[in-house]
Amino acid sequence: MDNVMKTRFVILTFIVIVSLTQFSALIFAGDNHDPRIAVLAKEVSGRGWIVYAARSANGDWDLFLMRPDGSKIRNITNTPKFNEGLPRFSPDAGRILYRRIAAGENFDNNLHGMQGELVFADSDGSNTDVYGKPGEYTWASWGPDGKRIACMSAKGIYFVELATKKVVGRLDRRGFFQQLTWSPDGKWLCGVANSFSTAWTVARMEIATGAANAVSSMNNCTPDWFDDSQHLIFSYRPANQENNDYGWTQLWMADVEGKQRTMVYGEDGRHVYGGDVSPDGLYVLFTGNMKEDGDASGSGAPMGLMRLSDTPTIGGKSKALRKLHGATRDGPVLVLPDGWEPHWTYSDLGTAK
Amino acid sequence: MTQSMTYINKPRRINILVIFMLCVLSLCASCSKKPDTGVDDKVTTLGSIEVTAQLLEIKGKIIDDPLYDYAHVMKYKILEVHRGKVEKDTIYVGHYNPAEPRSSVADARVSEIGGNLRTFRATDIHRMALEVPIDDYYMGGIINKYFGESEDPIYWALWTNLVIK
Repeated sequence: MDNVMKTRFVILTFIVIVSLTQFSALIFAGDNHDPRIAVLAKEVSGRGWIVYAARSANGDWDLFLMRPDGSKIRNITNTPKFNEGLPRFSPDAGRILYRRIAAGENFDNNLHGMQGELVFADSDGSNTDVYGKPGEYTWASWGPDGKRIACMSAKGIYFVELATKKVVGRLDRRGFFQQLTWSPDGKWLCGVANSFSTAWTVARMEIATGAANAVSSMNNCTPDWFDDSQHLIFSYRPANQENNDYGWTQLWMADVEGKQRTMVYGEDGRHVYGGDVSPDGLYVLFTGNMKEDGDASGSGAPMGLMRLSDTPTIGGKSKALRKLHGATRDGPVLVLPDGWEPHWTYSDLGTAK
Repeated sequence: MTQSMTYINKPRRINILVIFMLCVLSLCASCSKKPDTGVDDKVTTLGSIEVTAQLLEIKGKIIDDPLYDYAHVMKYKILEVHRGKVEKDTIYVGHYNPAEPRSSVADARVSEIGGNLRTFRATDIHRMALEVPIDDYYMGGIINKYFGESEDPIYWALWTNLVIK
């Protein structure tokens, strides 16, 4: 291929990518001119901040802060040599933890908690503290007091006192293998487990006893807690979906006993991941990508924000999905910028402007 | 007419000759599969257990999905224990991403595994380096169709070579 051909190829590829990005953003969750969306945006605009990972102008992954209506976006890492992802506010929102890998590497949607280094920083991205070596403190999750983290490796679950780096407790994994998250009340862990007859079961473990129970079996992942520690939000791909052998992944919620699970948001044509419930349990954030596992390996996907009182909501035409769910509320979904694994705090963050 | 018959018969003779030659070649090929104990440097040193065992069955469909990694649990009949201790004649072994040839299966999640086995087929005999229990060595999705049927520990396959008798 000569230079002229190469240039044409690069330009054409760029145009195709930009067109597809714009198209995907437009069709996500239907019509963004729905007047109800403006009302929702106004309702949430002052409710704290969202931290998320996204591609920067340099092409690497950085961490960003924005208001829940998508305004006041600010890059808080600006590190061209590194990719950052998986940010989580501490319970008091004064600090964040995240993982950092070299800019040339990609995050993997199922390995991200084991990749690169664990980093702590102030919630505006300053005062970074690289905590341990690459591959250490895997699947780290804040404890309720912000002074400990829970981690998980093949050898088990362990609890680390941050100030001293001492391991202060251990538990068997009981089949848990990824996306470990400590409950707000400090009594439980949730994660994805393979020990309940099928792989990819969202499960809960009691820290005091190590006893574990399935919350939602088969093809589930990315669980996170409601603030009441009695419910989980997670992604679930039901089997045998019409006209789609693989199926679309939807956002669901369930009580922690696994007695009742409910679809929160689904859209034929979107895989919905990254569910994160607002601190008061009134709203939920998520991402909706058209390609399975496309968030981490691509450029993230449009984030969406909806009221949990509008559960269940189905986006777009989604004929097959609507057949299954009958009457749905179909509330407004505020489409936010492309991102990956967002996390929401109602704190004003003080320094964030 | 004669000319026409000749025209038809000649390719027929060639076809028969080709089929005969293919049969001879395939016979030679099967004869050339020399017995192989599956021994190599890795299978005799990795892990704490080394066995020769017959794959009895593959329960469930082997998933070939590049986006997700699985260990698939398979049932084996022990033929010989070379190293370590195995309590039962039948064991359950988790193989990582079994749709992949063992020579190329190692990745970022699981680095120290391999072998010369290309395809998993029931009744084949494998020489394997193993560890147990699987949860101490592998942290990922597991397809275990024996859940609820067997409480036996699941072994983790580090190295898997084909044995030819």
